Amino acid sequence: MASAPHIAVIGGGSTGIGIARDLSMRGLDVTLVEQGNLTHGTTGRMHGLLHSGGRYAVADQASATECIEENRVLREIASHCVEMTGGLFVKRPEDTEEYFQEKLAGCAECGIPAEVVSREQARAVEPHLAKDIDKAITVPDGAIDPFRLVVANAASAMEHGARIETHTTVTDLLVEEGEVVGIEVEHDSGSGKRVHGTEGGREEIRADYVVNATGAWAGRIGEMADVDIEVRPSKGVMTIMNVRQVDTVINRCRPKGDADIIVPHETTAILGTTDEEVEDPAEYPEEQWEVDLMIDELKELVPMLEEARTIRSFWGVRPLYEPPDVGSDDPTDITRDYFLLDHETRDDLPGMTSIVGGKFTTYRMMGEEISDHVCNQFGIDADCRTADVPLPGSEDFSLLRDYMDEFGLRSPIGRRSVERLGSRAEEVLKTTDPNPVVCNCEGVTRAEIQDAIEQSGSDLNAVRIRTRASMGNCQGGFCCHRMANELHGEYDEAVARQAWDELLAERWKGQRHALWGEQLSQAMLNYALHATTQNRDNDPADGEPVDFAAFDAGSTPAQSSGESGVAADGGTEHGD
Amino acid sequence: MSDADQPTETDGEFNPAAPNTGEEFEPVDVFPDSDDFDLRPGSDSCYKCSTCDTNCPVAEVDDEFPGPKFQGPEQWRLKQRDDEHEIDDSVMDCSNCMRCDNACPAGVPLSQMHNTARGEYVSEQMDTWSIEYWRNRILSNYRTSAWLASKLPRLANVVMNFGPARWVMEKTMGVTKEREFPAFATETFREWWARQGGADASRQRARANRERRGEPVDADKKVAYFHGCYSNYNTTEVGKAMVRVFEQFGYEVVVPKQKCSGTPMFANGMLDDARRHAEVNVSSMRDLVDQGYDAIASCTSCSMALRQEYPELFDIPGIDDVAANTFESLEYLRIHEDLRGELAEVEVDGELAEEFAYHAPCHARNQGLERQALELFRDVDGVGIEDVGESCSGISGTYGWKAEKYEKSMEIGEEMFEHMAEAEGETGMTECPTCAMQMEHGTGYDIRHPLELLEAALVDGDGL
Repeated sequence: MASAPHIAVIGGGSTGIGIARDLSMRGLDVTLVEQGNLTHGTTGRMHGLLHSGGRYAVADQASATECIEENRVLREIASHCVEMTGGLFVKRPEDTEEYFQEKLAGCAECGIPAEVVSREQARAVEPHLAKDIDKAITVPDGAIDPFRLVVANAASAMEHGARIETHTTVTDLLVEEGEVVGIEVEHDSGSGKRVHGTEGGREEIRADYVVNATGAWAGRIGEMADVDIEVRPSKGVMTIMNVRQVDTVINRCRPKGDADIIVPHETTAILGTTDEEVEDPAEYPEEQWEVDLMIDELKELVPMLEEARTIRSFWGVRPLYEPPDVGSDDPTDITRDYFLLDHETRDDLPGMTSIVGGKFTTYRMMGEEISDHVCNQFGIDADCRTADVPLPGSEDFSLLRDYMDEFGLRSPIGRRSVERLGSRAEEVLKTTDPNPVVCNCEGVTRAEIQDAIEQSGSDLNAVRIRTRASMGNCQGGFCCHRMANELHGEYDEAVARQAWDELLAERWKGQRHALWGEQLSQAMLNYALHATTQNRDNDPADGEPVDFAAFDAGSTPAQSSGESGVAADGGTEHGD
Repeated sequence: MSDADQPTETDGEFNPAAPNTGEEFEPVDVFPDSDDFDLRPGSDSCYKCSTCDTNCPVAEVDDEFPGPKFQGPEQWRLKQRDDEHEIDDSVMDCSNCMRCDNACPAGVPLSQMHNTARGEYVSEQMDTWSIEYWRNRILSNYRTSAWLASKLPRLANVVMNFGPARWVMEKTMGVTKEREFPAFATETFREWWARQGGADASRQRARANRERRGEPVDADKKVAYFHGCYSNYNTTEVGKAMVRVFEQFGYEVVVPKQKCSGTPMFANGMLDDARRHAEVNVSSMRDLVDQGYDAIASCTSCSMALRQEYPELFDIPGIDDVAANTFESLEYLRIHEDLRGELAEVEVDGELAEEFAYHAPCHARNQGLERQALELFRDVDGVGIEDVGESCSGISGTYGWKAEKYEKSMEIGEEMFEHMAEAEGETGMTECPTCAMQMEHGTGYDIRHPLELLEAALVDGDGL
């Protein structure tokens, strides 16, 4: 092999990044482009469930079997992204015994460890479960941080030589003589790390093969080469609670329906979800009734949710796909399986394959299959190693340590930091410089923020998804400006202002759907602070950088006066 | 739940400072036999304003102390219900003054969070073989030491303030040698009470006083006195004043079986000890409350414990009834009697015809009692009273007795000392026995309890 083939992967979600890691580990030359941040699309908008497969064990056993396999793999290779919370399928009196038995049998058939527990046992595990539940089934569900997982995959791909370009939009597919030979992209701010205010530019990226892993956006890419990809985007809402009311994944044990899952996620709990087909994956209504539905339904499982604080809500779009001949009316009937569409065999367009459908939990498996497919195109026989090699951060590490002695951090802050950083903890947190806490809600220190800035440039939303800074109960009210401040030194004032505004705007977006009760008080306090102490409502210094040189040096002390050299505050010109 | 259907206040009461953790939030009795409290939902009320931090006297002088916001809502939110999430050891630097409870505009159950976290730290993480553990245990079980000392009070008074002994105590136990141990009374309050004939005699005296006052002789005026350890073993004059004042107003007093209120135990995370004592106190008070008695404490920390900390931390039968019927002594009389009217008629002379420098204890503030002594005594002829400001005295019970905290304790108290020095009088006044210790230690003034002044003003001497 003279030189490795160059593969362009479009889409920086879990699927695309999984493919990029796999191909680069097999020695191929990979460039991945993503229109926003990593996880910008669907991946960053999921409820963080590491499926045991239990949810699919009755209706979609193929998916269920894949889930339990990948569940076991991810616990090994991505241990710092996974929290094995365990899960419960909870049966209420109004849920049928028949379905409960089907669920139990389905789990057994798919090889998912499942056991029945009584109401008392279930409530001993989760004290806030409703007192009138019947019983439950335990399954090995877990929680997974999609941001951390994708960032770690990207880091691994880059270690293996891949080029990752975020904030880079595909504007066209390069087609020559009926074959896809590359992509044309527009960089938001030049190549490499994103820096606000940097000139962007177009680039032609020639590739030996193109993989379209854009999920709900796959049809857009297809259109550029006149191929039809009928993705059926379906929206779902997720509502984030301020604290974890449960430490176990709680599923309602009934046939598919809305609002039937609570996932403990880091410091929060995420309620989900709905399933409604939408026309456009980027523009769809976000409706209050969807949020109301989450709380109204799920309070039947965990009554305290009714009065609990909601910090924000967000919507994601599933990139559902079904072969055109199936024709399901209801999006909940569409399979969660994934499909590999080779446009050469399908549309007579060689050089490109799209991957559509699928689930986050099986991202690695999807990556493996499409990587096999790509390698086949070039007659490359290389083994997939993504199931065996731990991701950066998930190499051997221990959470049990003396955080104060080792890193000078308070116990809960040290613990959360090490949970996030995994085996990178020492590299990031051992510093001789002062290391104050920047985000108090999530316990994020300066060292971790600086590490994230180093990875992602001036993009504070990229810093946010790496660190969780500004994702806690004040939703950035008390730390966005501190995060922006951390850009100082490397980046100038204008860059920091833009990055800051962008972060504030993003934080506000999701809070609009939670403006009642405590979060409304929080939003009012944040607004007052940001407006009155930081001029965030209308900063006269926004826009052009401040010309500090234009300010005069103050009046010259009057020579005749006996009080010469006394400043207005009573001190001398050299200070008191 | 959207804007359209916000929950409405069901009881119509506006109570902005009530812990707002949701109706379904029942951390205490989820499992009655478990001490495994989960206070994470309490964090829902916090919007991070940091008013608690700016009101924390320890954070003001101790740069290593991360403050109540971290100790409470932040630490709890970051915590999980497994064994591996530990409590930060800085929770032991909190003095449990509970000013954060009062400062919080959002009703975060801060002191409950601190007490629970501290309890967990002590039982799960603290080395029970360490000197610090035993020092704290001994300090918080003051009742036991005091009981011992009361057997030979004169000897105890000499030994406990014997220089070389104190040097050894500081070196080996970490109890500061800078402070003087309080003097033990040669006769405890309870011994005195028994000698006076106890409850039966009190009923007779109360009836006579009702008759004298023109009230129905059978009026339902009966109180159960929670004297606490200090009035029993040390300042018995406060306990005696309580009895005389209440009887003067026609109240029958009973002095039920009781142990320590638990205040110093909460502050040191000794929740098992505190529970044992609380069970005795609740059990004897509960029966009396059932019979129509109200529980009266002369120490504001004792009334605080019975009213707030017990129901927050323990699940003992009758605890809510006892809490709802517990009052501080002056507070109770101000509710039920025309104290100001009676005081307007008299002039104080004698030993207590003084100008008082009054300090409101932090725990009195939490009960809304910080103005009661001032409002009561400022117009009384023959005496003057001046507020020495809203700062914490700095001793916070056992906090200021710890060698490593002594300097900080005095630094916190500095503001109060200065204000006392500037105040006209040279006699101090406060409801809290350890605040009194600190006031005396910092200024050399004599410190009196408001009940003593009430006694001097209103009790005619015909009684006890």
